[in-house]
Amino acid sequence: MSNETDNCCGRAEMLREYAFDELAPSDKAAFRHHLETCDDCSLELDRLRLTTAALRVIPDREIPQRIAFVSESVGKVSWLAAFWNSGARLGFASACVLAVAIVVFAFHQPAPTQTVAQSGIPTSDVSKQVNEAVARAVAQVRLEVKAEDARTLQVALETADRKHEQEHRALMVAMDENMTNLQKRLNTFTVLASADMGRTAGGQ
Amino acid sequence: MIFRAVEDTDLISLLQKKGDVEAFNLLVSRWEKRVFNYLLRLTASSDDALDLTQDAFLKAWQNISKLDDATRFGPWLYRIAHNEAYSLFRKRRPETATEDLSPGDQAALEGAGRPAFPMDLTLAVSSALDSLNPEQREAVVLKIYEGFKFEEMAEILGCPVSTVKSRLYTAMDVLKNQLAPITARGTR
Repeated sequence: MSNETDNCCGRAEMLREYAFDELAPSDKAAFRHHLETCDDCSLELDRLRLTTAALRVIPDREIPQRIAFVSESVGKVSWLAAFWNSGARLGFASACVLAVAIVVFAFHQPAPTQTVAQSGIPTSDVSKQVNEAVARAVAQVRLEVKAEDARTLQVALETADRKHEQEHRALMVAMDENMTNLQKRLNTFTVLASADMGRTAGGQ
Repeated sequence: MIFRAVEDTDLISLLQKKGDVEAFNLLVSRWEKRVFNYLLRLTASSDDALDLTQDAFLKAWQNISKLDDATRFGPWLYRIAHNEAYSLFRKRRPETATEDLSPGDQAALEGAGRPAFPMDLTLAVSSALDSLNPEQREAVVLKIYEGFKFEEMAEILGCPVSTVKSRLYTAMDVLKNQLAPITARGTR
């Protein structure tokens, strides 16, 4: 420690502590009393106070940019942060994405072009119109089904007729051929019989 | 109804129990100017001082749960700021010693543009402060500008009270001699 300010009374240390307001209250009062009688200490105290005052000509500056924090508590780590920093986050994220995809797929429907609230028509009228529209649609479908059934039946009958006609023709052709064959056999038999009768008459 | 000023200890308690960011922002608003000026006097650079101030408060925010005695928030915060500053000095050493200040940094340290004080006194004080080594200058800053007690300074600097006194008294002797011509003129 510097001895430069040691003075004749040997109270330099106390003098500095007094100057820097580091003395206990009781010591402070005692040293204040000492200052009244010691010129060296008084002079040294003045020098110290002038030096301190000179140093304070450089005032504090305003901070160029204010500081503020907006994040969550960091002092104690939240359970969310602890979880997010753990290895389970990837699995959790995957499960979340999958769950969202399932829900979206299950509930996705095309957006209605016009809602009841937007149309401005009373609910009862809407219900009536919907019922009528449904009835018309059902009747239309029934007619279409009947027509389709009739067309199908007609086609089936025509197909059966054509098939029957073909079978009939084939049968008639077969019968003609059989008849032709029988006629040929009959002729042959007649000729043979005539020949036999001629030989028998020539022999008598 | 009794109104009572919200003390730092109240805010720290709120912060430690609930992690209330608004409580911390209030603490920051109370201390940021002092911490910034302390760091400005250590680094002589406004940009460095601002960056270090932000870093110091971020560290404080992250470690507030480790502060056992809320009444010691000031020295605790300055200890963080001191560590941040010396961390920066270590990174830059030896190319940027705090003694070798550029004219721009000198102007920042002196508060350029303020005509409130005689220029020769301002320059003399800056020059006298520059003649101190970093430890002595920090002791002067903590005592003269920040008003800490020796015990608090020892806590901030991480050294015994006797070392703090030695640094401060030696520094004051140097400053007293260097500023003597000006202070003597002022008393005439």
